Amino acid sequence: MIELVGLTKRYRSRTAVDDLTVTVQPGRVTGFLGPNGSGKTTTMRCVLGLTRPTAGTATVLGQPYAELAAPMRSVGALVDPRARHPGRTARAHLLALAQSNALPRSRVEEVVDLVGLAEVADQRVRGFSLGMGQRLGIAVALLGDPEVLLFDEPVNGLDPDGIRWVRGLLRDLAAEGRTVLVSSHLMSEMQDTADHLVVLGRGRLLADVPMAELLGADAAVRVRSPQLAVLAGALQRAGAEVSAQPDGSLVARRLGVEQVGDVAFAAGVRVHELSRTTTSLEAAYYALTGEDVEYRAGER
Amino acid sequence: MSRPVPFRAVLRSEGTKLASLRSTWWAAAGYVLVAGGFGWLAASTNPSADSADSALRIALIGFGFAQFAVVAVAVVAATGEFASGSVLASLAAVPRRVRWLAAKTGVVAGAVAVLTGVLALVCWLAARTLTAVPGGVPLGGAVARDVLLQVAGAALTAVLAVGLGTLLRSTAGGVAAGVALVFLAPLLLPLFGSTGEWLAEAMPVLRVGADPFLVAGTTGPVGLAVTAAWAVGTWALAAVLLVRRDL
Repeated sequence: MIELVGLTKRYRSRTAVDDLTVTVQPGRVTGFLGPNGSGKTTTMRCVLGLTRPTAGTATVLGQPYAELAAPMRSVGALVDPRARHPGRTARAHLLALAQSNALPRSRVEEVVDLVGLAEVADQRVRGFSLGMGQRLGIAVALLGDPEVLLFDEPVNGLDPDGIRWVRGLLRDLAAEGRTVLVSSHLMSEMQDTADHLVVLGRGRLLADVPMAELLGADAAVRVRSPQLAVLAGALQRAGAEVSAQPDGSLVARRLGVEQVGDVAFAAGVRVHELSRTTTSLEAAYYALTGEDVEYRAGER
Repeated sequence: MSRPVPFRAVLRSEGTKLASLRSTWWAAAGYVLVAGGFGWLAASTNPSADSADSALRIALIGFGFAQFAVVAVAVVAATGEFASGSVLASLAAVPRRVRWLAAKTGVVAGAVAVLTGVLALVCWLAARTLTAVPGGVPLGGAVARDVLLQVAGAALTAVLAVGLGTLLRSTAGGVAAGVALVFLAPLLLPLFGSTGEWLAEAMPVLRVGADPFLVAGTTGPVGLAVTAAWAVGTWALAAVLLVRRDL
């Protein structure tokens, strides 16, 4: 569990994180969304004690990060794929970090195999691609088999195979009851991975909602029929809010797809298409942050 | 809840970091070549000396230049973390920053002390073999004291340089500041009259004690105290700022 209470970080000229109060729960993947510069990375760094908050607190498993007895055993983090020395081999990098938390050497071999770096583990990381760097960063996060995991943009630079692997990994970690906080700007990726969303805009909390709720808020049923007028009337009488679409279909809100089908059957209307339309996360996200992004773009 | 991590675990981690960089080994090779090579050369061109003490001091002269390697390795041990960004992973792993800095400093200073000790003994062997001294050059008394002074001076210079690297976070700045402090200032300040000489004696130097390399030299204990004060002061300031600053 990660708890942020009134977390605020001000730099000289701007407020990176503004009075953020959020609890990240275990057992699910929490997606951390927001435009560039909205404070996601700063928040994660505050949780890890790398950045000192101006006000408020960040605790992990009920304690400030710095007071954890063996931090890597409790919290694993991918903060920055560049957080490694280019002249060191992947294995030496992992070994040094494992030793710093008194983790057994065998754990290094386990995570090297787990993230698929076994063949390049003895190469200096200078020559690593962005994707290999991400895998190494994920290996670091997994070293201590931690209860809480923070990933800042973990799929950046990964190929489709890698992205699918990360998605599975995050879901597995959450299913094991761990706390998983993952930031990403890839909406479709987040839609497939996260159960819960925390959305930031200019350092402030815009939303802290279950994914289903955010997407469901705009759910609707789409129906096509050669008897549109009859169907629209019947649906309205059944309590739906109906709107005709330019392509000749109807979109009904406030009724489930089964109910719309039943209404059409009862009214004796022929139906050519009946489908549930959920809004994409991207659309829901822009509905939340749209103003924010516009404001930023206008300012520059 | 997991047990606290013992300090020796952090030391082991920093040892792995130091040993896993190629630059460390290049610097060590340079240190051995210059300190050992010059020592042997100096001893071989110094056929006789009045005392065992002065015979050894001549043989130790290579350390005057070899100290660059100590400064470079110790500065880079700190700045390499900041320049590469690996400090983020390091301090996420060891969030108690003073502990982290202490482990890093301990490992670097320890490695420098061991290597310096071996090299100083090589230089002593050179003096004993190549320089004729009435009564020989036994490893005791003033000779042993000079060897230990050399080791302590090198270790303190390493502490100073790790501190500088942590303060400045820049390899170029750290190495420049380190070289200016332990090499250029003590060598050049005496050119500027008696005040300059006094200032030179207040600078940290790797070769503490009455040094044939230096124009203005102090006695061993005073030189060691001055260098220790610089090392402790710089390191303490570095530790305080490391805790206060964001990464």
